[in-house]
Amino acid sequence: MAPDHGVAWQTPLARRAAELRPHNGDCFSLIEEVPNTIMAINDIVNLSRGQFAMTAIFHIIWPILTISLSAFLLLVETLWVRTNDVVYYRHARFWAKLLVLNFAVGVVSGIPMEFQFGTNWAGFSRYTGEFIGNILGFEGTMAFMLEAGFIGVMLYGWGRVPRGVHLFATAMVAFGSSLSAFWIMVANSWMQSPAGVAVVDGRLVVTDYLAAIFNPDMIWGVTHMWVGALETGAFVIAGISAFYLYRRRYGEFFLRSFKLALIALLVIAPLQIWLGDSSGFEVFRTQPAKGAAIEGDWHTNAPGTGAPWALLAWPDQAQQKNDWALELPTMLSVLGTHSLTGKITGLAEIPRADQPPMVPLLFYAFRVMAGIGFWFMVLAFWSAWVWRKTRGRLTEMLRQRKLLLAWVLSIPLPYIAVESGWIVREVGRQPWVVYGLLRTRDAATLLPAGTIATSMTMFAFFYAILIATFVVFAYKWLKKGPDLDALPPAFVKPLRPQARLLETQS
Amino acid sequence: MSVLSHTTLTSAWFGLIGLMLVLYVVTDGFDLGIGILSLITREERDRSLMIQSIGHVWDANETWLVVLGGALFGAFPAAYALLLSTLYVPVMAMIAGLILRGAAIEFRHPAHYKRAWDIAFGAGSTIAALAQGVILGRVVTGLVPGLASGVFVALTALGVASGYALLGATYLVKKTSGPLEHAARSYALGAAATTVAAAILLTAGTRIISPIAHLRWSDPVVFQALLMLGLVSALAFAGVVWAVLSRRTHAPFRAAVLLFISSFAGLALSLFPDLVPGRLSLSQAASSQSTLVFMMVGVGLMMPIMMGYNFYQYFVFRGKIQLEAH
Repeated sequence: MAPDHGVAWQTPLARRAAELRPHNGDCFSLIEEVPNTIMAINDIVNLSRGQFAMTAIFHIIWPILTISLSAFLLLVETLWVRTNDVVYYRHARFWAKLLVLNFAVGVVSGIPMEFQFGTNWAGFSRYTGEFIGNILGFEGTMAFMLEAGFIGVMLYGWGRVPRGVHLFATAMVAFGSSLSAFWIMVANSWMQSPAGVAVVDGRLVVTDYLAAIFNPDMIWGVTHMWVGALETGAFVIAGISAFYLYRRRYGEFFLRSFKLALIALLVIAPLQIWLGDSSGFEVFRTQPAKGAAIEGDWHTNAPGTGAPWALLAWPDQAQQKNDWALELPTMLSVLGTHSLTGKITGLAEIPRADQPPMVPLLFYAFRVMAGIGFWFMVLAFWSAWVWRKTRGRLTEMLRQRKLLLAWVLSIPLPYIAVESGWIVREVGRQPWVVYGLLRTRDAATLLPAGTIATSMTMFAFFYAILIATFVVFAYKWLKKGPDLDALPPAFVKPLRPQARLLETQS
Repeated sequence: MSVLSHTTLTSAWFGLIGLMLVLYVVTDGFDLGIGILSLITREERDRSLMIQSIGHVWDANETWLVVLGGALFGAFPAAYALLLSTLYVPVMAMIAGLILRGAAIEFRHPAHYKRAWDIAFGAGSTIAALAQGVILGRVVTGLVPGLASGVFVALTALGVASGYALLGATYLVKKTSGPLEHAARSYALGAAATTVAAAILLTAGTRIISPIAHLRWSDPVVFQALLMLGLVSALAFAGVVWAVLSRRTHAPFRAAVLLFISSFAGLALSLFPDLVPGRLSLSQAASSQSTLVFMMVGVGLMMPIMMGYNFYQYFVFRGKIQLEAH
């Protein structure tokens, strides 16, 4: 059965909200005279959107690696504790150094994220605070602090705490970073498919927590993002290991991490394609305008026929059609509804004011992401086939120059895929900040344009320095390589009486 | 239907957020204070020790600010929206300072040339401390612009920065030894003097220009309670001076923390039941009953757990530090 689409972008709740939407001028204007033209307001809103986009695009690079690298550290440390094989300990120490660098940039670039909701999106904060603020509060107390509270012990606690306690600290860092992603994705998925709320006195009040947390997009948003983070880390670990193998340095050592990452990817890469497909299916159900925009589909298919899928095209929003398209018949109905004749609402049927902007960007960002996802599966299976053929012998693997090079060159790809996916997700939700309930235009603080431009320039300057510094130190780390003689420090209980003696002397 | 009225709930949340603020201000306060003091520390070796003394805890300390932000956003969305948008410039300055400070701590360690990172550490900490002082001053003056408010806000910024320097210096007394500990003791005395001078001026200033004066200080019960807190602060100040001079290790920091707690209790008592005096009350800013309860269950349960493992992290890294070999 083809799902019933209805007019999901105009729910009764949305119509009610339209009447009661908070008006921008009322309390969150910091400029003396509110501009009287839509153009002037749009400029301010677009500056704030630009700043949020820039800070978010920069920030997401780091937590996705923290999530996966801390999970990998938990794996190798567990293997070390279980097998007592010191090579796993050396892996834990080696990869932790990359985690320190990555974590540092992640922490400092994360601070602007939380505060921007209040500074630049005061209308959004007041309107949705009951839910979004609540969830961010949960994220801070349950997840973010957990990560921060144990990372000190994990990174600097070797020899200061027993093995078991150290393993526990590593587990808490890994768990905290994943839980953090969970709550952030709960908040974001609710913005994609809001549920469990009612409008009271011009703001949203939660009526059903379970419905709001388990909103239609939540399960796919959370899993697609989390698995994407794991995939990123697996590719970074496998790619860096392949780099050393390609250079014929520390071959035996890195063949081991390459193998672990490859095994993980044999599961992760196909799983992610399935999650992506399910996530897309959900988009067509809850956000038809986004679905139509990412596929460049302008016209609703007639009943009994299938919608064609444009493999490549140039969507022209002004004319509400594709300038040219390379189409496969019926495929879009199959992808979007999992049925041969499922109805796909064309973008042209949706009022222009409710269509997402920049349709070509959405169209191609989606294809870049999906293309990379398929390449990952090909690369993983190709490598597994080679591994089987050569039985993973080091001498044979070192001869697989093309394969190793393919892994090295693939290191940036997961990042490009994640960024493209987020562009599809966020730009595709426009012109809404909370889909169907609150327009982005009504959510922004009216700040002087120069003020936003100044803070935005400041962030761009800092981010350039941060990324340059990261690259320099990561290069040094890569050049230095692992310490193959490192031995685990023995846990020595601090001498309390001596410490007390010191205290009385001072 | 519920035993908890909305007023009780908003007051409980005010208390909880106040606790988060004190935890942030005390813990990150000594981090930022050490950053401020690093600007007047000549030896690179001493600056290394200073950064090393907070290396494993600064991130968790800063996280109290993120926790505080999330709690304010969820429990008092209107206050979060009003304060952050109105205080755009100081908030952005604070974020800039925190980025500089955090990056400096983490990147100084692997860096070959440490000077640039030392400057970033000192400047970032100072900017963040001053910006937090500006935010506090603007809240106390009810976000009213003007020359008198401007002077008050500038004084608050200096007061907060010297208060942080006091926390930082007394923390260094705890964690270091030798010449650095000796220097930290004299920094502590200087910072204690400027902090108390600023506090006295700010109290007088609040009496003259802040809406708090006629909203809260005119109430005799509140006034007596504030007098008591003032007495505690005076004792804490005397305690800092005595502990530093009598060469105690832990007592100076503890007395400085007591000084902060009594000052913030006084602030909370003066603001209540408003969040921004004369502008926004707790009940106007608060979320609905069900959100306040739901969030209290989640966040309230986590508070003792968070405090527990934070304490454990301090426990693991307890005692005086030695310079790490490179």
